[in-house]
Amino acid sequence: MIRHLKKLILGNIVILIAMALVLVWVSYPLSEVFRDSLGREVELKKVPERIVSLAPNITEILYFLGLNDRVVGVTRFSDYPPEAANKPKVGSYIDLNVEKIIDLSPDLVIGTVSGNEAGVIAMLDQVGIESFITDARDISGVIENIAIVGRLCGIPEKAESLTAGLKSRMARVLEKTISREKPLVLLQINLRPIMTLNRDSFLHDLIRLAGGDNISADNAIRYPTISIEEVINKRPDIIIISSMERGGRFEEARQEWLLWKSIPAVKNNRVHLIDSDLIDRPSPRIVDGLEAMARIIHPEVDWEDVFNEK
Amino acid sequence: MSYEYSTKKILTPAKVISISIIICIALTVVIGIALIMGTANVSLKQVFAAFWGTLAPDESAWLIIFKIRLPRIILAGLVGFSLSLGGVIFQAILRNPLADPFILGVSSGSAFGAVLAIFFGLSFNLGVPLMSFAGAVFTIYLVIMIGSRNIGVESSTILLTGVIINAFFTAIIMFFISVSTDARLHTMLYWLYGDLSQSEYSQLLFITPFIIISSIVLFSFAKDLNIITTGEENAAQLGVEVEKIKKLSLLIVSLIMGLVVAFSGLIGFVGLIVPHLGRMAFGSDHRLLIPVASIGGAIFLILADTIARTVISPNELPVGVITAFMGAPFFIILLKKRGSQWTRS
Repeated sequence: MIRHLKKLILGNIVILIAMALVLVWVSYPLSEVFRDSLGREVELKKVPERIVSLAPNITEILYFLGLNDRVVGVTRFSDYPPEAANKPKVGSYIDLNVEKIIDLSPDLVIGTVSGNEAGVIAMLDQVGIESFITDARDISGVIENIAIVGRLCGIPEKAESLTAGLKSRMARVLEKTISREKPLVLLQINLRPIMTLNRDSFLHDLIRLAGGDNISADNAIRYPTISIEEVINKRPDIIIISSMERGGRFEEARQEWLLWKSIPAVKNNRVHLIDSDLIDRPSPRIVDGLEAMARIIHPEVDWEDVFNEK
Repeated sequence: MSYEYSTKKILTPAKVISISIIICIALTVVIGIALIMGTANVSLKQVFAAFWGTLAPDESAWLIIFKIRLPRIILAGLVGFSLSLGGVIFQAILRNPLADPFILGVSSGSAFGAVLAIFFGLSFNLGVPLMSFAGAVFTIYLVIMIGSRNIGVESSTILLTGVIINAFFTAIIMFFISVSTDARLHTMLYWLYGDLSQSEYSQLLFITPFIIISSIVLFSFAKDLNIITTGEENAAQLGVEVEKIKKLSLLIVSLIMGLVVAFSGLIGFVGLIVPHLGRMAFGSDHRLLIPVASIGGAIFLILADTIARTVISPNELPVGVITAFMGAPFFIILLKKRGSQWTRS
């Protein structure tokens, strides 16, 4: 009899534990373990409500996902969307103020690999603040990052539908450019000295998807400083200038190229300017940048239907 | 810290001229080498053809020779010439082997102007050089005003003032660097390590007359400098107008440095080591040292810049990286082998 009772109680306990486990599992949908670009495993106990962004592109991603109210701190150059600039600042992304970050008591800090944040992340680990580091080598990676940030922040469906929109815009551009001849492109990202990028930069992918061929793809340095002689040697068909300096002196740089008639891009009057705001950050706006670049590289394509569908 | 003014060897004008001619030939050879080295292929034959006038001016080799390499080589030569000349003069009048043409803070003053101009996005053709020159002039004024007291321009006071002004401007430069955006940061750092890639004939035409006139004036001080280096009192007793020469040289050299730096950025080391190399090789008589070290400076910087633009071709390095990287070990080897003229008595 007693043994029987014991069995019953034991059985009940087992069932209770099982139920409790199910409850726990249901109430913690975030038990997904995320692996960030530094190979660290990040597991959030609850949906983050106080997020600090350590880079302008992360800020853009958070706003794109509609997480405006959860952002409690941004970096100094987080200027898009404009209202992001009103959030408390935690320094610039190469010069972060750890005390300020801790002071904001975030439950999630999101950064990028390219910032010099190793020391900062180590300090945050010490005080027990969760951090997640992103990296994007190409445009698909940028879009993937947006989805991951969405999942991290507990809005996987919304992130999924927003990134699907970006992906389909990307696909529409690719559809138009993929079978076309690829002109040689110099994408100049600094005026003096002349700087461009190799295949490790996400901008290389941007040129590729827009239907161009990056003249410095094989350079050994990710963002090399090159000489004008190198440009004359490589004979780009198109020069696209994107000074990262806001309100930069685009026209001055364009005038300087005009002297070099032996460069096909100059001879055929194909030195163009691109709005650097659209391409210099691995953020959702990169797709706008892709569309703008595709238009520059392939003006012969009828883009009307692509942009009307938007 | 005074060094021996060598009177043992007899220096004749013929000797000065013949040594200068030999060095000028070396300069020509170096210019020739610099013209054929580069990312784009240009042969020696094409170089000769270009100068002979048989190469069509719209060919890319012609453009590369005359529009990219030659102006850059000439600028490197002029800058190296001036830096080295400035070094010789400053080491003599301040009677200090560590003096270089930037010792009075001219470099940090003009760097301050340039960094400010880059920070606010001013144009490279006018804004940056102008601001840089203004910064240099302002610093010279400051140093000479603070450094000269009733008794005249005193070397140690001038030196200390320069060091302090340097530290102060460096702090401001670091401030602007730490608050500027990535893109400008790169431009600023490139400028701070010396950038000769943006050379234009109009700039060269502008700075050349100043450099020629000031080097003639400074050369005319050569005999007096020889005496000053043996001691100022001694020189005054021998009838040398020490104060006048010191003040004039400080002013001329600093102005030339301001002008040169405005178009080249900061290129360290040339003004320090080339004069010492000159002394080790040819002795300390300024009548020989001034022309030899100046032309030597031109050769050194043309070589360094050629290396800077070819060593990791197709990418470029700031020339200041090369001058220090190549100059320092070379200088130490010579110093170990020969000893400096400053320490030998």
